[in-house]
Amino acid sequence: MSKLSFRARALDASKPLPVFRCEDLPDLNEYASINRAVPQMPTGMEKEEESEHHLQRAISAQQVYGEKRDNMVIPVPEAESNISYYDSLYPGEFRMPKQLIHIQPFSLDTEQPDYDLDSDDEAFVNKLRKKMEITPLQFEEMIDRLEKGSGQQLVTLQEAKLLLKEDDDLIREVFDYWTRKRKACKSASLIPVVKQEKRDGSSTNDPYVAFRRRTEKMQTRKNRKNDEASYEKMLKLRRDLSRAVTILEMIKRREKSKRELLHLTLEIVEKRYSMADFGGEVMAEVLAQRALIKPTYTMPLIPLSSNQFRHQDHLELKDFKPKVRAPFLVRTKRKYEKKPKVLQPSSSVSQQSGHSSLPAFNAKDLNQYDFPSSDEEPFSQMLSGSSEAEEDSDPDGPFAFRRKAGCQYYAPGQGSNWPWCDPGDPRYRYSLTTLTVPHRCVGLARRRVGRGGRFLLDRAHSDLDNVFYGLDPEMHSLPAQSPNGKLASTSESNTSDRPAPPDLGHILLNIKSCRWRHFRPRTLPRDSDSSGLYRGLTRVSMANPRTQTGGSTSQSRTGPGPAPAAALTAEQYQQHQEQLALMQKQQLEQIQQQQAGNAPAALTTQGLVSKTLDSASAQFAASALVTTEELLAIKAKEEIVLGIGVNGVFPPAPSAANSSGMTAQTPSGHGAAAQVLMGNSVRLGMSSAGGTVNSITTLNARHIPRTLTAVPPSALKLAAAATANCQVPKVTAASSLDMVVRENHDQETTALNSIADSTVAMEVT
Amino acid sequence: PVTHNAPLPPCKRRGPGRVRSVGDGRLEVIEGCRLPVLRKNQENEDEWPLAEILSVKEVASRKLYYVHYIDFNKRLDEWVTPDRLDLKKLQLPKKEAKTPTKNGLPGSRPSSPERDVVRAGREGESQMSKRKAESVSLTTQVPPVTSVPSLPGSTEVTQASVYPSNGTSRRLIPSQPGRKRKANCVGTDEDSQDSSDGIPSAPRMTGSLVSDRSHDDIITRMKNIDCIELGRHRLKPWYFSPYPQELTALPILYLCEFCLKYLKSLKCLQRHLTKCNLRHPPGNEIYRKGTISFFEIDGRKNKTYSQNLCLLAKCFLDHKTLYYDTDPFLFYVMTEYDSKGFHIVGYFSKEKESTEDYNVACILTLPPYQRRGYGKLLIEFSYELSKVEGKTGTPEKPLSDLGLLSYRSYWSQTILEILMDLKSDNGERPQITINEISEITSVKKEDVISTLQYLNLINYYKGQYILTLSEDIVEGHERAMHKRHLRIDPKCLHFTPKDWSKRGKW
Repeated sequence: MSKLSFRARALDASKPLPVFRCEDLPDLNEYASINRAVPQMPTGMEKEEESEHHLQRAISAQQVYGEKRDNMVIPVPEAESNISYYDSLYPGEFRMPKQLIHIQPFSLDTEQPDYDLDSDDEAFVNKLRKKMEITPLQFEEMIDRLEKGSGQQLVTLQEAKLLLKEDDDLIREVFDYWTRKRKACKSASLIPVVKQEKRDGSSTNDPYVAFRRRTEKMQTRKNRKNDEASYEKMLKLRRDLSRAVTILEMIKRREKSKRELLHLTLEIVEKRYSMADFGGEVMAEVLAQRALIKPTYTMPLIPLSSNQFRHQDHLELKDFKPKVRAPFLVRTKRKYEKKPKVLQPSSSVSQQSGHSSLPAFNAKDLNQYDFPSSDEEPFSQMLSGSSEAEEDSDPDGPFAFRRKAGCQYYAPGQGSNWPWCDPGDPRYRYSLTTLTVPHRCVGLARRRVGRGGRFLLDRAHSDLDNVFYGLDPEMHSLPAQSPNGKLASTSESNTSDRPAPPDLGHILLNIKSCRWRHFRPRTLPRDSDSSGLYRGLTRVSMANPRTQTGGSTSQSRTGPGPAPAAALTAEQYQQHQEQLALMQKQQLEQIQQQQAGNAPAALTTQGLVSKTLDSASAQFAASALVTTEELLAIKAKEEIVLGIGVNGVFPPAPSAANSSGMTAQTPSGHGAAAQVLMGNSVRLGMSSAGGTVNSITTLNARHIPRTLTAVPPSALKLAAAATANCQVPKVTAASSLDMVVRENHDQETTALNSIADSTVAMEVT
Repeated sequence: PVTHNAPLPPCKRRGPGRVRSVGDGRLEVIEGCRLPVLRKNQENEDEWPLAEILSVKEVASRKLYYVHYIDFNKRLDEWVTPDRLDLKKLQLPKKEAKTPTKNGLPGSRPSSPERDVVRAGREGESQMSKRKAESVSLTTQVPPVTSVPSLPGSTEVTQASVYPSNGTSRRLIPSQPGRKRKANCVGTDEDSQDSSDGIPSAPRMTGSLVSDRSHDDIITRMKNIDCIELGRHRLKPWYFSPYPQELTALPILYLCEFCLKYLKSLKCLQRHLTKCNLRHPPGNEIYRKGTISFFEIDGRKNKTYSQNLCLLAKCFLDHKTLYYDTDPFLFYVMTEYDSKGFHIVGYFSKEKESTEDYNVACILTLPPYQRRGYGKLLIEFSYELSKVEGKTGTPEKPLSDLGLLSYRSYWSQTILEILMDLKSDNGERPQITINEISEITSVKKEDVISTLQYLNLINYYKGQYILTLSEDIVEGHERAMHKRHLRIDPKCLHFTPKDWSKRGKW
């Protein structure tokens, strides 16, 4: 058998090793030298200690004898056992419980004093006992408190008296004793404690300092420097996450209070409704009482606070949403443009839109409730839609209205000094008005000067509207004084018990007898007035008067457009009028059906609102509810190039010369739907195929309702909502756009131009 | 033996290597000297092993010398009277005697602080020179190195030298060099070592033992407690333990047997026992068979007991460190029951999470219970826990001499038990892999191999490794197993391991 190589294979821990008895392998010794191949394992001891005499002796003894012999064990210092007094020291018996002993958490925390009485103390206590009551335990407790009450400085007697519950004599005795003993004691405390580390790190190497706190440093493995960095990152992550949790909790709380606020508001609204506090008098009273009761505490009542919390939302949202608002937009004051909304419901309630001073609590405040509530659905839908839009784009930006804490705000109109707010001012009475183009009577309206000197026609609703519309403008030219009270002061009274509409003859009679003022254009040329600056043109269609119900408010923004260049031939106009009438009839049928269904609810806000929105169509057909597509379609038919510019600075198309002699016919008042859609700043350039007249009417949209926003999608949504409110649910704004385009193509070549990204309520000047 | 006729004031120190002639021409023995010292061996015979003087103190105008017997474990260090010194063979402290290998005196500490002491005495209190420079300064008497005072340890020097004002030079002398070495350690040659750990001044935070003794100083090299009374027993501590310093001067330190609270007098202990109603370690009993029980104590939840236990254990564990708190440890206390209660016999501590497969940090059988099989029982229990955890484990290093012997004995018996019980399936040789042994016993693979080697069982035979069982081994094993009557019964263990990594902090 050949000698094996000296170097053997390494020992493989996973390889089976056969187990032999030595006697079975007589030739084992021949292979003994190979054993060197397995490297010697370290013992795990320190090198110097490994060589210690007794250990080596013990190891060799073990190897020689297989076990330790008594004299070969490692010697250790011997000590006596069997303390004689042990049994007296540890008295009593302890029975082993049957169950394994289980320690209850905190059961070890006993109230026993850590200080243990020594012989000196015992002598002192015994001496003291002759004078007063004291037990060793009591003494220990006192010393314990004194010791633990002392830091670097010893407790003073005064402090001791506060610290100890005993009577003063005893305290003084023990305190004196303690002070003496403490002075004699070299160590820091009479209760021996293991030395603590010092904060300054000077105790790092003090051998008597033990049980140092482990620093927050993570126990990183050696040679892993990035461990610490990642550990710190983890720490930071943890911090951030916990911060996020905090924020979420706060949000939760906020949303809860919001909900609560909503419920409270709802309750108030319901209460007020049941009390018929439509004018807000009760509310004002309550507010006033509140102010009296708590003059210093200016927590606003619900309407205000609701606004306040929305204001908060604003602040929070601001940080997250991109600023999309075009900076050059000039916004109207909210107060100002709110009015139509205020009026819409009220007018529909009273069938007669009053435009008079509003009570302290009005729709302006209502408008500030963002939450939809079931009993004001269509209205609130619109409003919430608008507020949503507002939040989306923050239309007022830095100029947004913010409530200040502690300020009392009046509803718009009440305190405002707009002259037309005063119902008594004869200058702002509602009077019969006749427009130049189309040449017809538009019913009750009043004229006032708007921003930039534009003239606005505020229209009022009356039961006699259908009569008015039937009036022949040419017939009477009797500027007469009207007793303004009857029709002009509607909103204040909110009455619905108007006298039944008198017959036509009666009205004519009235007018003729100069009872009512009737404003007519001074000149009445049908196609001759080429003046683009002609004011106050409101096109009113002649369609079915019966269903015309609302429509006063949305017209309040109408005025002469700055570039009223749209020109039509008379023939074209007539054609389109016919088409228009046809469409409106269809529309009307629809609406009538729906209204019939809604008849019982007609008096509720829902019904009112829908009717109010009908005003959009008032320009075209008195009774028709016109959706946007119709509006635009009509325009297309009219071959008007309609440019809705942003803030009036939109550049007109090249062909926009004010060439035509025709007066521009622009929709002077749009329904909410139309407004919204246009608010999307859809710039529609529609050129007439006939090429007869190309003019661009730039609708100078100065007044941007805050409801209208910059972001087209959301605005489209709004439009959809608005159309829904208009009770033309089938048609969405988006589809209306499509229709517009289609129609434009059908009829003539129409260009649908760019869509600008800001918008506008229209103010036709 | 030579005795001094005219003792010198204790605080007065002489230069190193200089044995001052004292009037009549006799020599003075100072720290760092080596000389044979009389001690009785286990057979009660006189021996004169070489010893090193670590400290000198004077009690009742009589000098006492703290001697360390070279090549003997520190636990045998003691205070001796001058009559036990063989002054004729006195070796003066050598400047080169820094490492055991250099002066041919293995077993002593690599650094000899004694020489620092001596030189400090000669060169002045403020001597803070680097140890590397000491050999130079020894002869040239260089003034103190000035760079040191900025070191953290430097301020302590004065504090430490002021503190022991009890008249004996025992503290005064060692404290200075001790501090000095600390200061040096921070500043100089320990730097490289420490910075490699990333912890320049504090020891590592894992584990319970120190293998790097560079932080050792003369104070921790000397026993500071004379005697501890614990229950029925008096214990002679083997090593330094950081009990409150004011208690180290006491002849006897009294410990409550159950809560291990340290008390300065029997009176205090009596008072304490009226208030302490513990009759077992304050933890959950997880094992009981007969009178033997094991209690599990969480070092974080029960700090007081854990610290008291550590202080006591430190008296008998040289390498144990109490530098940091006990939070990351569990303590398994073995008790023996009698009518007075559950008396502590021994314990082992265990890291809640060990990165290095340690299943034991420190392990100790209290001296009165030693050499009666309890140590092996503790070890066995520790491996039973590992079996429940489904892990293999190994004790934290370094092992002490007794630790090594105990573990080797346990490993040997455990492995031999398996090998002897191996049955061949089908007439073939029974065989087993090291991994299998490791899995069965929970003994870490390396320990299995080292034990097999130590028992000389691994042989290379005909191209492969085999395990051979000699007659001696078999007989010795059977004899030992016959004597080993204390065993852990796994059925009596009620232990559910916790996943400590899932709890934020131990």
